[in-house]
Amino acid sequence: MSAAGQGQNLTFATDREGTSAKPENQGQPVLVAKDVVVDYGGVHAVNRVSLSVAAGEVLGIIGPNGAGKSSFLAALGGQVRRASGTISLDGHEVSGLLPHQRARLGLARTFQTTSEFSRMTVFENLVTAAEGDTGSSLKAVVLHPRRTAQREQELVSHAWEVLERFEMTQVANLYGGELSGGQRRLVEIMRCLMRRPKVLLLDEPMVGVAPHLTGKLISDLRGISRDGLAIVVVEHAMEVVRKLCDRVMVMAFGEVIASGTFEEVAQDATVQSAYLS
Amino acid sequence: MSAWGFYVATLLIYFAVDLLSGIALNLQFGYAGVVNFGYIVFQAVGAYVAAVVTLGPSLGAGSYQQYILGAHLPFPLDLLAATAAGALLSLLVGLFSLRRMRRDYQAAVLLIVSLIALQVVSADVPLFNGSNGLTGVGWPLGQLFGVTATQSPWLYTVWSLVVVAVVFVGVSWLSRSPWGRSLRAMRDNQGAASAMGLNITSLRLQVFVIGGAIAGLSGGLLVEYIGAWSPGAWGYAETFVIFTAIFVGGVGNYRGVVLGVLLVPVIFLEIPRFLPAIGYPGLTASLEWVVIGLAWMLCIFFRPRGILPERRLHVTPPGALEPGALQPEAAPR
Amino acid sequence: MPGQLLSSVADGIVVAAILSVAAMGFTLQFGLTNVLNLSFGSVMTIGGFTAYLLEAARVNPWLGLLLGGAAGAVATVVLGRGVLRQYARRRTQLFEMMMVTLGMSLVIDYSIQAISQNSIYSYTVLQAAPVHLGSIVLTPVQVGIVILAIVILVVAEAALKFTKMGKALRATAVEPSLARSCGIQTGRVVLITWLASGFLCGLAGVVYIISTQSVDYTTGELFLPLIIAAAILGGVGSLKGAVGASLVIGIVTEVVAGLGAGGYSTVAGFAILVVVLLLRPGAVIAGDEDRQLVL
Ligand SMILES: Nc1ncnc2c1ncn2[C@@H]1O[C@H](COP(=O)(O)OP(=O)(O)OP(=O)(O)O)[C@@H](O)[C@H]1O
Ligand SMILES: [Mg+2]
Repeated sequence: MSAAGQGQNLTFATDREGTSAKPENQGQPVLVAKDVVVDYGGVHAVNRVSLSVAAGEVLGIIGPNGAGKSSFLAALGGQVRRASGTISLDGHEVSGLLPHQRARLGLARTFQTTSEFSRMTVFENLVTAAEGDTGSSLKAVVLHPRRTAQREQELVSHAWEVLERFEMTQVANLYGGELSGGQRRLVEIMRCLMRRPKVLLLDEPMVGVAPHLTGKLISDLRGISRDGLAIVVVEHAMEVVRKLCDRVMVMAFGEVIASGTFEEVAQDATVQSAYLS
Repeated sequence: MSAWGFYVATLLIYFAVDLLSGIALNLQFGYAGVVNFGYIVFQAVGAYVAAVVTLGPSLGAGSYQQYILGAHLPFPLDLLAATAAGALLSLLVGLFSLRRMRRDYQAAVLLIVSLIALQVVSADVPLFNGSNGLTGVGWPLGQLFGVTATQSPWLYTVWSLVVVAVVFVGVSWLSRSPWGRSLRAMRDNQGAASAMGLNITSLRLQVFVIGGAIAGLSGGLLVEYIGAWSPGAWGYAETFVIFTAIFVGGVGNYRGVVLGVLLVPVIFLEIPRFLPAIGYPGLTASLEWVVIGLAWMLCIFFRPRGILPERRLHVTPPGALEPGALQPEAAPR
Repeated sequence: MPGQLLSSVADGIVVAAILSVAAMGFTLQFGLTNVLNLSFGSVMTIGGFTAYLLEAARVNPWLGLLLGGAAGAVATVVLGRGVLRQYARRRTQLFEMMMVTLGMSLVIDYSIQAISQNSIYSYTVLQAAPVHLGSIVLTPVQVGIVILAIVILVVAEAALKFTKMGKALRATAVEPSLARSCGIQTGRVVLITWLASGFLCGLAGVVYIISTQSVDYTTGELFLPLIIAAAILGGVGSLKGAVGASLVIGIVTEVVAGLGAGGYSTVAGFAILVVVLLLRPGAVIAGDEDRQLVL
């Protein structure tokens, strides 16, 4: 349980928002990608894209449809093989690792197409996500039943915290497949937070989320990020990007065409032409 | 013993064997979403191995039957060997068929394994006596008490029900554990499950091997009762009877599996024996398979959740939490 | 020994010819619809039995061959339109569709078993004295089968390349939604594909039983693994690939059989598929779960 062992300081609970002392790992890059290339049968969907995100930082990726944003996230998460380039996570070289190995090193992500566990209740979705590492292994279950049960209890209370935070306690017993689109997005985000990750990749997290929750979600995410989490978020809604992200990276045709603060990027001529064309 | 008593005992033993299959396939399919269309091969290998390790050394090519690995193993080594054979073969088959392959390819490959294995075993006489199969298999546990399975079918019934009960309790406990939950996560969405740190390949292989072990055990249990085993007993279609039973009884619910096994392989496939024969001998059997095929298609069409569907975990907000809060309760409907 | 090998290779080419007729049908169908159709073998059996019945009614065997193909076409259209499409309407997933075809296969096979009284029927037509070419012994009908396979390949390739329907088919196979929005009537394309692949399937059934000289309810089922192997090995959707793969499989199986391991000849064919699955991951792995059904 790598994430949980050291994860106390990453607790989701944002009651720490007020604490002025920043965690000591603040400012260190946790996710560094260099010259990542993703190929789909000859076509470069992602062409030599690099990024570096520090703990406590929120990086936005924007760009027109088909720019390669999701493909880039997939390369970071291990869902697609990168053709070349390196990716390091918290000091580990992860380019060759499978998705679950990267997850165990502290990477969590959501998907553009919702990917809730449809025949499990929301509650189970959350608990399973956090158990995902070795806590649910056959070995742990059979050889250490007591430890497993104890850990399960911890996760149960953590899950309730998270559910309350997102005003989702009423749907705890609904199946993932019985939720609305927006609720599914929230379940995905909650699932990630249950894992107390170091890096969080979000692919269009706000699609379908009600306006009053959007604002709350933005401040929550910022709060969590301040606690030492690095967030990369792909988003089309400019208002969200402006409020949420410290830095913004613009992609078009698989390449980075601009990066900087939201204001800098918004004034960039190449960006404007990419969006207009 | 009356013919009726014998018949009922036999039915119960078949029920136990099919229930083992149902449990294994429900773990693989209902929980983990692994579609094992070659299931019957793993039962068959268990049966063959249990047979040869109890039949004694093979008498060689000239005799009425020849086989490999002949031995006289005492109980419980016979059934352990059968279980291990099922597990081992599953491991081998799983290692190449469970890679990150399209699911329909994967299922097709397993079906092909089933068809090919049948051809090979039928054609290769030195292996397990070819298409004539093996006969004269005894019951090592009974031998300890000086009884045979045919003499005391009720004893055998009790024994097989004990075996199935143990497996039932063990597997349903495992399925409710966090491990079982991660299987369901994998079934529902592999991509998300692996992004949550689940090692999909390893989980799939685990259920495949556990299911294979149960299959091997079921084969051993069956062959020691009926005393014979041949390619006629494990056509690829046998697998689909059990699948149909799970669909009817309830996917992802072991009690549903009990019910489904009672309804499909036991009652549906055995009742015709009481009906007056129609047409030429064998017509009823053919028609039964047609009905199984139709039932199978209807099951996919209507996607029933079975008579006893998978149960929903029902949790109540904190305060009311007790140990065991993660046990499923009947779904409020 | 070389003579023996040569004759095994010749036999292998004959097997390959039979296999390639079926594999071309299978790959065409699979490449377009994305349904891994496990009832393909059963439809082959239907074609075979049709030819058998016609022969019993003293119909000309060549006509029987054509009508066997036609029976396959009709059966495939009935299954494709009447059954699979209904499932597609209910948003059955790609993977479940394969399970449906399996059910169809059970129903067809055992209906045939019931009707045929579970017997093996001998089918000896078009037999003539074999021709000796050194150590190679071939019957005229075997030569005919090889020629037939070549003709089918050439005609089908030409049809795909040069006819409007062929082009529409290729476009639909690559990008169905795009094809649809370009005004291609994908429904018609699918119908034609069912007809053509079903015809090849029925034809393969007849050709197969001409070669084995008997037919029973398992005829197609036992041949199916090799067909699937050939289609996957050759690259789904590629006719030339299917023929090439059939050659490899046919020759390997016959050489193995020639070495005196008859029971293992199909295994050898299957072993090739396994090797392909292991070594050419790109061909089968990857996230193609999200391919769409075209029905
Ligand atoms: N699995 C795939 N196979 C082949 N090509 C793909 C695949 N996934 C994406 N592509 C192609 O790669 C390019 C980038 O796609 P990607 O999904 O990364 O874009 P995106 O920036 O996330 O777009 P959007 O804003 O619409 O989500 C597109 O041209 C797309 O067609
Ligand atoms: Mg995207």
